[in-house]
Amino acid sequence: MSGTKPDILWAPHQVDRFVVCDSELSLYHVESTVNSELKAGSLRLSEDSAATLLSINSDTPYMKCVAWYLNYDPECLLAVGQANGRVVLTSLGQDHNSKFKDLIGKEFVPKHARQCNTLAWNPLDNNWLAAGLDKHRADFSVLIWDICSKYTPDTVPMEKVRLSAGETETTLLVTKPLYELGQNDACLSLCWLPRDQKLLLAGMHRNLAIFDLRNTSQKMFVNTKAVQGVTVDPYFHDRVASFYEGQVAIWDLRKFEKPVLTLTEQPKPLTKVAWCPTRTGLLATLTRDSNIIRLYDMQHTPTPIGDETEPTIIERSVQPCDNYIASFAWHPTSQNRMIVVTPNRTMSDFTVFERISLAWSPITSLMWACGRHLYECAEKENDDSLEKDIATKMRLRALSRYGLDTEQVWRNHILAGNEDPQLKSLWYTLHFMKQYTEDMDQKSPGNKGSLVYAGIKSIVKSSLGMVESSRHNWTGLDKQTDIQNLNEERLLALQLCGWIKKGTDTDVGPFLNSLVQEGEWERAAAVALFNLDIRRAIQILNEGASSEKGDLNLNVVAMALSGYTDEKNSLWREMCSTLRLQLNNPYLCVMFAFLTSETGSYDGVLYEDKVAVRDRVAFACKFLSDTQLNRYIEKLTNEMKEAGNLEGILLTGLTKDGVDLMESYVDRTGDVQTASYCMLQGSPLDVLKDERVQYWIENYRNLLDAWRFWHKRAEFDIHRSKLDPSSKPLAQVFVSCNFCGKSISYSCSSVPHQGRGFSQYGVSGSPTKSKVTSCPGCRKPLPRCALCLINMGTPVSSCPEQHNDIT
Amino acid sequence: MFVARSIAADHKDLIHDVSFDFHGRRMATCSSDQSVKVWDKSESGDWHCTASWKTHSGSVWRVTWAHPEFGQVLASCSFDRTAAVWEEIVGESNDKLRGQSHWVKRTTLVDSRTSVTDVKFAPKHMGLMLATCSADGIVRIYEAPDVMNLSQWSLQHEISCKLSCSCISWNPSSSRAHAPMIAVGSDDSSPNAVAKVQIFEYNENTRKYAKAETLLTVTDPVHDIAFAPNLGRSFHTLAVATKDVRIFTLKPVRKELTSSGGPTKFEIHIVAQFDNHNSQVWRVSWNITGTVLASSGDDGCVRLWKANYMDNWKCTGILKGNGSPVNGSSQQGNSNPSLGSNVPNLQSSLNGSSASRFEIREFVR
Repeated sequence: MSGTKPDILWAPHQVDRFVVCDSELSLYHVESTVNSELKAGSLRLSEDSAATLLSINSDTPYMKCVAWYLNYDPECLLAVGQANGRVVLTSLGQDHNSKFKDLIGKEFVPKHARQCNTLAWNPLDNNWLAAGLDKHRADFSVLIWDICSKYTPDTVPMEKVRLSAGETETTLLVTKPLYELGQNDACLSLCWLPRDQKLLLAGMHRNLAIFDLRNTSQKMFVNTKAVQGVTVDPYFHDRVASFYEGQVAIWDLRKFEKPVLTLTEQPKPLTKVAWCPTRTGLLATLTRDSNIIRLYDMQHTPTPIGDETEPTIIERSVQPCDNYIASFAWHPTSQNRMIVVTPNRTMSDFTVFERISLAWSPITSLMWACGRHLYECAEKENDDSLEKDIATKMRLRALSRYGLDTEQVWRNHILAGNEDPQLKSLWYTLHFMKQYTEDMDQKSPGNKGSLVYAGIKSIVKSSLGMVESSRHNWTGLDKQTDIQNLNEERLLALQLCGWIKKGTDTDVGPFLNSLVQEGEWERAAAVALFNLDIRRAIQILNEGASSEKGDLNLNVVAMALSGYTDEKNSLWREMCSTLRLQLNNPYLCVMFAFLTSETGSYDGVLYEDKVAVRDRVAFACKFLSDTQLNRYIEKLTNEMKEAGNLEGILLTGLTKDGVDLMESYVDRTGDVQTASYCMLQGSPLDVLKDERVQYWIENYRNLLDAWRFWHKRAEFDIHRSKLDPSSKPLAQVFVSCNFCGKSISYSCSSVPHQGRGFSQYGVSGSPTKSKVTSCPGCRKPLPRCALCLINMGTPVSSCPEQHNDIT
Repeated sequence: MFVARSIAADHKDLIHDVSFDFHGRRMATCSSDQSVKVWDKSESGDWHCTASWKTHSGSVWRVTWAHPEFGQVLASCSFDRTAAVWEEIVGESNDKLRGQSHWVKRTTLVDSRTSVTDVKFAPKHMGLMLATCSADGIVRIYEAPDVMNLSQWSLQHEISCKLSCSCISWNPSSSRAHAPMIAVGSDDSSPNAVAKVQIFEYNENTRKYAKAETLLTVTDPVHDIAFAPNLGRSFHTLAVATKDVRIFTLKPVRKELTSSGGPTKFEIHIVAQFDNHNSQVWRVSWNITGTVLASSGDDGCVRLWKANYMDNWKCTGILKGNGSPVNGSSQQGNSNPSLGSNVPNLQSSLNGSSASRFEIREFVR
């Protein structure tokens, strides 16, 4: 505070006021700005508070230390210790008629002038003020003044009085202290002990001393260097902190010989240490030239008696502002609140939060504890955000029976929320695979059915070197392009891509119609063009432009298309090949890429990432030769596997390759639900037995369990056991005989057959089985039904009125 | 969007830990007031305290639930140098009428000579096992050989970490390809820069836990550590709360390539590092799928982190410790990860913009 560095103090009673003191005293008023705008002239302290300057007092020069009068006082009475050792009472109020009016301007003068280092009001007798001074020969360094004293001894020479206070205020001078202590010593810090009104702890030149005012000749002291900033813990009155350079010492007054602990030394000298008044065991420290307040959270203090338990001290630091901090002050009543001031007098108000512990619940709500309070934070249910976490997505999808539509397989992507193009592609792929497997099985059982689920990659491989190309005419154009003759495999691939329907019909018409219906004009036009029907493409674009949701620009594209010319060096060609890159829609882009490409080189189409994989693959099947096609598919497959792109399942099918692809998908998304259902769609057993697949399934079941979706899990198990009979869950409930305790289900077949359980038991049993009304183990009769008193196992008549289940 | 609401906890001192059971319908809290409270969620979604009892003679640091397969079982650990296992007694009693349930102490684990700083049940597939760690630097693994008798626990392993331990986390993976694994963090604050996270793996052959990895880059005190739920992934994800939030991935190098029998080798990558809390990070917690990480730090905020599909982690939400939302205006500056990730940033500008749009949606209420 020595002129340059400001200090800051909260008013002890008016909790919305604080004072900043450097060369003058400035009183501020703090307001919350939560529900109001920042007023003109006020300073922002934090996001939700601001300060207004109320008054400035520059009556007291050479300030060294300031202490706020502890009684309630609307006039903000302060004691100021000066460089010459005088203590002046001053006020920041405007109202001069208060009951403390007489005190204002009062001065307490030591015998010899030297710096006043510290001031402390007695918390019990509010009129007692202790002042700690520098050393002056054999004079006393701790003076205790009674501010109500009116006693002005005549011994003080008039001129000395004049020097500082001026003639008119001579009556306000007090020169006789109540007590004089610490002879021949210097006092650096002071604090009253709350235990007793008359106990004063002082940091003297090289020791800490406790003065007892009841017997001033005696003092208790301990030699130490840590004599600065003595302060008593407001929660443990025997605990005291003091510091020396970078080190804080914690003392227990009951065991005053040595510090009970010293905190880790800080590299720079400390300037302030203060206990939090609103929370037990929290000590804040500040070092020179630092923007950090270091906090020590003493969860357990070492006791002077008892065992040598290690104290638990948690070190924390807070950074309230970017500048260096000159001083700070805890708020007297608001929990953990503090205000800091920087050398250039910017201030900020903040709260030290307790360490927060937190936990996620399985149903995506977050619970955390801050201090003594708990907070629950839940994701809003009706949030339509696309960015929902996969945990929420999977939960909602499980509820909507995602993955369980085994008839209309493609519908699963709608159950998944119809928002993810990859899932859409995946379920369409699986749908086509299922359809064509059934198809194949009907036509030639046991032939190519398994090939379908192996994906296009295997399909294409199986037909290597059997395809020749031929020239085809364009519809509506005088042009010819090489197209591969479609053999059975390529047809199948095209079918899986969805371009053509079942059978050997190679007409893409139905597919185009469905695209047009869904409003995918660009895609439809591109597919039409790839089937060498430029007229249809233009027509589709026109249709798109004229439809309600359509883009009028499609007409422009159609016009550009219609200007197509085959000439190599035409302006059309030149412009289209450069301008096409500026088209936003990938399908429009590839259309021009196709038209402007050199014969046999279709990289502009094949490697356009934004075009759906199925369209690119179908295109490749149509235009690439066998070796080219194979290389392309191979490359694309690896790309898809690398990226975990579900569109790639079209290529890999449900094979080991597919598991690899799915693995990188799961690694990326954590979506074990899709992984499980996809693999359960038709994978061969050896793929299903893959450790990874089993692990995904196990993880998904575990999720369903955690969410308490017992029925969903049961449905999933049933679905699973259809494909993998070995995974049939074991019977969970058995009926045991009352007498021998054996399961009666064993009775029904001599071979104990796990899992089959009830199907063999009782009513549904085949007529060849003897009726079982007695325990197979001990031949005692089975328990009776509570209603009809018939023994269990007795076949019931077919009368539906009766209790239908087994009695 | 997340909305926070306050629950009257009624603990007499600081709450140190919150823990959910497997289904998220029960919750336990522990506090410096030496007690543990159990909370049950009603149909309407409100939490009711159904049990509160004094568990230890010192601050209770952590509380954790066993898998419900083993019954309603809790474990707690404390400054009083012990850990304890508690079981809920189901029966006809007056307590039930008052809506209170009764918990009995099944065992006290007294092996530690210093404060027991963390306690965690092992993943279910390993049986009923429990790990504790203490300030004297020892991780202890206990097993209840008979799951019906929770009063008998045998000390199976003692792992010396040579550093004061603050937190442990089991690797939750139940894949047979992954051996049991436990990560230990230390809050040792001595100035020498020693690695503060050690990972131990169970070796089938020696039947002992051996050090598999040390995260050499983490040299500041570690306050919390958490493996993400594995959820079918081929690698493990570990979050570390130290002076910043860090996320590591540990990818096992395929067994065939390493000599059999030895500890698994891992490719370790740091995928994210965020110092947005400005200072110490106290806790980290993963959601059920291991896709969202929540962290709390000395800035008094809870932050949520999520990766986009390029494995680029971003802050997706900030809430103040007292539940109030952080103003959107001041967020934009802070929420951009200053360090980001050291993953090659292949992301197109398109992704960047969509992610930041999400952030705003999260903060603006």
